[in-house]
Amino acid sequence: MSTTIEPQSEKHAMGVRMKRKEDPRFLQGRGRYVDDIVLPRMLHLSIVHSPYPHARVVKIDKTAALASPGVVAVLTGEDLAAHGLAWIPTFHGYDKQMVLAVGKVLYQYQEVAGVIATSREAAVDGAELVDVEYEPLEPLVSPFEAMKDENVIREDREAKTNHIYHWEVGKREQADAALASSDVHVQQRVYFQRCHPAPLEPCGGIADMDGATGRLTLYMTSQAPHAHRTVVSLVTGIPEDKIHVISPDIGGGFGNKVPVYAGYVVAAAASVVLGVPVKWIETRTENLTTTGFARDYHMDVEIGATKEGKVTALKVKTVADHGAFDAAADPTKYPAGLFGIVTGAYDFPTAFTELDAYFTNKAPGGIAYRCSFRVTEASYAIERGMDILARKIGLDAAELRKKNFIGKEQFPYPSPLGFVYDSGDYATTLNKALDTIGYAELRREQAEKRARGELMGIGISTFTEVVGAGPSKHFDIMGIKMFDSAEIRVHPTGSAILRAGTKSQGQGHETTWAQIAAEELGLDPQNIMVEEGDTDTAPYGLGTYASRSTPVAGAAIAMASRKIREKAKKIAAHLLEASEDDVEWADYKFRVKGVPDNAVTMQQVAFAAYTNPAPDTEPGLEAAYYYDPPNLTFPYGAYVAVVDVDKETGFVKVRRFLAIDDCGTVINPMVVEGQIHGGLTEGFAIAFMQEIRYDESGNHLNTNFTEYLVPTSLETPGWETGNTITPSPHHPIGAKGVGESPNVGSPAAFVNAVMDALAPLGVTHVDMPLTREKVWRAIREAEAAKANGVPA
Amino acid sequence: MNLQYSGVEQIPVRRDVVWAFISDPANIAACMPDVISSEVADSRTFDVVVQVAVGPVRGRFKFHVVLDPQPGESRMNMKISGGGLGSVVDLLAGADVAETPAGTELVWQGTATMRGPVAAVGGRVIDAQAKRVITTTFENVKARLVAAHPAVPSG
Repeated sequence: MSTTIEPQSEKHAMGVRMKRKEDPRFLQGRGRYVDDIVLPRMLHLSIVHSPYPHARVVKIDKTAALASPGVVAVLTGEDLAAHGLAWIPTFHGYDKQMVLAVGKVLYQYQEVAGVIATSREAAVDGAELVDVEYEPLEPLVSPFEAMKDENVIREDREAKTNHIYHWEVGKREQADAALASSDVHVQQRVYFQRCHPAPLEPCGGIADMDGATGRLTLYMTSQAPHAHRTVVSLVTGIPEDKIHVISPDIGGGFGNKVPVYAGYVVAAAASVVLGVPVKWIETRTENLTTTGFARDYHMDVEIGATKEGKVTALKVKTVADHGAFDAAADPTKYPAGLFGIVTGAYDFPTAFTELDAYFTNKAPGGIAYRCSFRVTEASYAIERGMDILARKIGLDAAELRKKNFIGKEQFPYPSPLGFVYDSGDYATTLNKALDTIGYAELRREQAEKRARGELMGIGISTFTEVVGAGPSKHFDIMGIKMFDSAEIRVHPTGSAILRAGTKSQGQGHETTWAQIAAEELGLDPQNIMVEEGDTDTAPYGLGTYASRSTPVAGAAIAMASRKIREKAKKIAAHLLEASEDDVEWADYKFRVKGVPDNAVTMQQVAFAAYTNPAPDTEPGLEAAYYYDPPNLTFPYGAYVAVVDVDKETGFVKVRRFLAIDDCGTVINPMVVEGQIHGGLTEGFAIAFMQEIRYDESGNHLNTNFTEYLVPTSLETPGWETGNTITPSPHHPIGAKGVGESPNVGSPAAFVNAVMDALAPLGVTHVDMPLTREKVWRAIREAEAAKANGVPA
Repeated sequence: MNLQYSGVEQIPVRRDVVWAFISDPANIAACMPDVISSEVADSRTFDVVVQVAVGPVRGRFKFHVVLDPQPGESRMNMKISGGGLGSVVDLLAGADVAETPAGTELVWQGTATMRGPVAAVGGRVIDAQAKRVITTTFENVKARLVAAHPAVPSG
């Protein structure tokens, strides 16, 4: 069974299920990725990594590596230090991180040296021969050990503590008092495990310093090319006009390709020194062990409620493991990202949340994997908490949610943790989900199966996101405001080129950006060429991540189009020999008011703009717009998972999964469905398969795809999708963004379903990933407890 | 990742002969399996290059081995350190050498510490490989001694 997302109108281009313009290129193997680029005289970089999670670097002997065939140079942290490049600031701006190890290594696989050679193979062989002498130190693996400060790992910092920061929002005393006086109080620690986005294309780049022009060209797998250009300029001192970042086709990013990694910097330094291009392409192991991970939040969730099930207070206390550097690329004023969305879709009278982050001997990161800024963690915490509350009270999980939803009449809704939600109609969306999946019938079936001792579960997640960072008064990264931009040039024959400050990694911008402009300008979306990722040509923008492209750049495209339309109106009046006041834009044409047949198309206007512009009107037809959003957007959804659990083996079969999303105005239903299918598959992987684990010695245990699992079509359930449409009132086209919703909302639905299945056994919570072994153990332990007379 | 190993080997050869054999780095190097090359540095140390195939970790590892005979010729300690392909392996091993009516008994124990890709392969795979290496080494020690000294002298 499958439902589809409905187009909301019969408009010209908006809401149309248009096939992706970029797909013929990809489907024919004609995409151009970084590793496809080969430049004359290009050398190759291979990185030497630390096998130790925590150790002093006593000596690095390059002799054997330099003697290896094809090796041209070996760079170490000390070499970079001579040029001021040993450390670079993290995107968060409050910390710095080593490029190549200086003095110490702080996590296993940390970059220690770079070997540059005439071929990739020669570079790898040379890297094997770099002789590094280490003095192992005691590794610090747990954030709960880190908080004791008995083993402070960051000697470079003035503060001799592993504690990075404390963050809190809300009213602690009020929340405590409300919890204490509530009829019902539930408390649960939930761990959102460390995981990794694992894009199919790992990170990579080519640095090409042109000695003649003094210009550094960087081909990068970058989700934020302009931000990277600025960072490179700030770090190296190279004027920004002498840096050209090109981000070609990208094979998935999911936040993994936002940070600046050692390979980029070492390749750039090597190119500057050697005067030839230097390419760096990650291996899978390097990608999984050194680049931006996701989550790793230990969350204590407390909810108070009346005995009838009306929530009274929420309190969440989190311990965050940030690894060796605070490289979580959060906006400056939001060290814990947008975790304040933890009150979710519910009308809590009061709430309080606090978070403490710690350094450990693990890879840095924390903001990745289709989660906006910590929204996935927050959503998981509240959706698990609400389910646990429902069970404690004895209310149906859907009924408890309906009882506590923010009403549609309450929007704009000021949440107790500081956001102003823009729009929503949560009850309608949940009702649609329940009706579509046949909730009542499923509950009847479940009752029958339970009577037979079978384990069937139904899990609900009615999440809300907060995306579209963001308004410049609050949001910046390293001081750069988080606006975004678009520039549109309409050609004389009515086709156009559209450039944006974003960068698609598979989201389909070449299609959806064209659709927005086509809708606004009455042009054919097939004839609007979209270009991103080249800092020499695209307007400055903060890039694509955290579901911000449509809320911010999508708005910029609409606004730039409207600027063009304003100018076009003058030209149209000239062509129609009418006063501009008498000309209106209707049915995708300019026409004289009251005389609909007296009209000109945008194509006619465009031709005139170059051949017959109106008097006193500047020739040409183009515009740029930098959009500073007035607020964030709040897409949401209602997801329902149905599972069957094999009591003997712990195997969980996801029988059905329905996602009803509301992302406001839909630009292209097919692209939205694609986004949701991909995100649900990732959420499924997180819920059941994926975890980056370290052993007690700090060994990274998931270094390849045999140990870190990515579901194939064989494991992936069939997805059912649908939608409701509640436009954002402040967005020019009412769109909210959708890319991250399925990853944000689905883990809780899966876990809630499994916990619902295990409820008759008395199992309340099992942390993800819900592997067969974990579920099997939970069942066995519950049965043993029951046999021993321990109350559930 | 730390792994513990232990075992007992009965060798029908006189204790002093066994002790002399295991005190010679060249003999130990010759008994280790999958050795590609070895080089004895002095009477107590040697270096070996071995072929490793543990899951996806396949290639050459280099090890530096130090023999540390204890006073009384009743215990031989051995420290093996090295690695390759980004992995590091440290093995601290020891064998108590005791005379028995049938010859000599070696009671051995070892603790291996693994870091890097080899540690990620998974305990059961590594465990099986490490046991094979250790078991084969002691089997080779026994086989060579028995071949050179086929009969146990009485008394």
